[in-house]
Amino acid sequence: MKFRLLTLTTLTAAGIAGSAFAADTVKLGYQLPLTGDTAQYGQDFRKAAEIALTEFNAAGKPFKVEIVFEDSRSDAKEGTNIARKFVDDKEIVGVLGDFTSGVSMAAAQVYKDAGMPQLSQTASHPDYTKISKYQFRNIATQAQEGPYNAKWMAAKGFKNVAVIAEQTDWGQSVVSGFSDAVKANGGTVAFSEFFNRGLKDYRSLISKLERAKPDAIYTGFFYEDGAQFLKQLQQLGIKTPVYSTSAAYSPKLIELAGGAAEGVHLTSNFLPTDPSPNVQHFVDEWKKRSDGAVPGQFPAQAYDAVRIMLAAVEKASPNPTREKVRDALAQTRDFPGVTGKTSFSADREAEKELVKVEVKGGAFVPVAD
Amino acid sequence: MNAFETAAPADGLTRRRGLLVPALILLLVFAALPTLLAGFDRGYFYQIANLALIFVLLSASMHLVTGVAGLLHLGHAAFYGVGAYTAALLTSKLGLGFTVTLPLSGLVAALVAFLVALPTMRLVSIYFAVATLAIGQMLYLVMLNWVDFTKGPNGIIVSKGFELFGFSLSGRLAAYYTVATVVTLSVIAIGRLSHSYYGNALRSIREDDQCADAMGVSTVRLKMEAFTLSAFFAGVAGGLWAHMTGYISPGDFKFSESILILAMVVVGGLGSLPGAVIGALLLILLPEGLRGLGDFRNIMVGLVMFLSILLLPKGLLGEVSALRLVRQQLGAAWRTAGPANGKGEGIGWR
Repeated sequence: MKFRLLTLTTLTAAGIAGSAFAADTVKLGYQLPLTGDTAQYGQDFRKAAEIALTEFNAAGKPFKVEIVFEDSRSDAKEGTNIARKFVDDKEIVGVLGDFTSGVSMAAAQVYKDAGMPQLSQTASHPDYTKISKYQFRNIATQAQEGPYNAKWMAAKGFKNVAVIAEQTDWGQSVVSGFSDAVKANGGTVAFSEFFNRGLKDYRSLISKLERAKPDAIYTGFFYEDGAQFLKQLQQLGIKTPVYSTSAAYSPKLIELAGGAAEGVHLTSNFLPTDPSPNVQHFVDEWKKRSDGAVPGQFPAQAYDAVRIMLAAVEKASPNPTREKVRDALAQTRDFPGVTGKTSFSADREAEKELVKVEVKGGAFVPVAD
Repeated sequence: MNAFETAAPADGLTRRRGLLVPALILLLVFAALPTLLAGFDRGYFYQIANLALIFVLLSASMHLVTGVAGLLHLGHAAFYGVGAYTAALLTSKLGLGFTVTLPLSGLVAALVAFLVALPTMRLVSIYFAVATLAIGQMLYLVMLNWVDFTKGPNGIIVSKGFELFGFSLSGRLAAYYTVATVVTLSVIAIGRLSHSYYGNALRSIREDDQCADAMGVSTVRLKMEAFTLSAFFAGVAGGLWAHMTGYISPGDFKFSESILILAMVVVGGLGSLPGAVIGALLLILLPEGLRGLGDFRNIMVGLVMFLSILLLPKGLLGEVSALRLVRQQLGAAWRTAGPANGKGEGIGWR
């Protein structure tokens, strides 16, 4: 698999290098974890980026785009090294990534000084876009998702809720974004706690949580932790409804948790079952490259992030510069992506439309309320 | 008088030869390398040079505990983290500059090390290793979970770069010289410590701690000192890193970083300071140099480490074989308390 991907990239790279004299080539950088603990996400992002790039280059534009992928291993040291490397390459006019907020923010310190536009598909740290005018993200922040979910749960009549989230910058923003909104709506947060990523045993957390007798549980986790949590919740026979964020929206959640995922409510802005042609095109391309697997939320965000960046490069051409690409990115309005329409606000946050989803019969099904 | 005169040329010659290598290294670090860096004028090369120097300091500081004193230290990155957090918090909360935060990073790390060393330094062998592992994890979890103070996983933005009494040193070359100066001075200090009577006393703990004890060497006190000193230099490295990257989070100081530093010391050769320096350079420069290999680069790095242990059990320049040391360390766990050593020997406490 990796062999094939590598040869593929090398071949595309070689092909582009060969035709570089024929047509103009614009370079973009993509820093992402291709190895290490979070490699599964980085590999997905590369796949999504390659789909977007192949389409763009096949569309007969006056110039071709090349993406340089660099492996950061979700390590701040490597992330800043890559950032310096990208900045040094005068041909690179824009950068995508990194995966985690920590690495994205360490790299952002370099991009800030160099004036390089940076668009992360996943960095959700509240301060990330505040670093400088060059940081953009293509992910709904918890400041947006939290109140949306709080309203949804309040409408369902859940007044007294428990919140748990992973102990990361993102988890922190899940709890604060949601809890503030619950209190503003007149509800109460009966229990709130963080757990460390990769926790194997949630039973003590669950029993503590149940002692608070919440009407519903709001959770901030990714699919690996989510599946463990849901399975153990089922084992303990607890029927309290579970709500979650778009980060848990991955077919792997259902695959790993099985029946325990039934009835989980979450938000998303990407539905692989959406009949609109661009979504179906992406899902088909993804299936072709992943042995029939369906893409989740994150690859869809990466796919859109790359396309938003490509659109900005096109807008900034001819002769795109880093500054022109940044300005073009900032002007992105109602970009029709697979994760709905995306606009960047004045503070470079992606404004996303959210969809309500429930797990029913082993699949994510959109629900009206 | 005559005797002195005849002896002088030979002495002078050896002394001159002894100074030649350090002089060449200083020339390389402070003249040749900066000239090259300025010639290429690529931020990437400066970044790699600074990062490699910081890890040289981390590796050299661990060399004092693991290489010279022979104590398996599995939590070194935590003191690196304490130093970095000290610098970051002093900068973000009190607005202090690098001139003040750098020494304090070292001192706070040393203080923390001293406090955690008090109850643990009587441990020997594998028990010591497990205790340092626990210390490392504990400090990491404090950085991660004490959200009110450390901002937890949100990390801290360090808004100030390098400076000296208010003069900015944030230009590329100035930053390189800052890191190079701090690291060189620290490595010289560590070199003086490990190549002295003091260093030999530490070596005696490595070779046979009971024998050293019997000869009147205060092993517990020496271990404590070595541990605290090494934490001081790790803290200084942390201060450099915090001001260099401008953003730190607990993930930078997790267990795998301790293992990376340990690997540097082992690959370079246990007990050898040049070895520790070369080990650090190798394990920072190799993964960067192999970027072209894509997904295979980590396998290549692993292969180099594996082969170096297999073919060079003493590392590149080591005094002792890593395998021997591990066997010695781990062996104690299985040593039974027979009649000969019935007085609690083998329970990892002395």
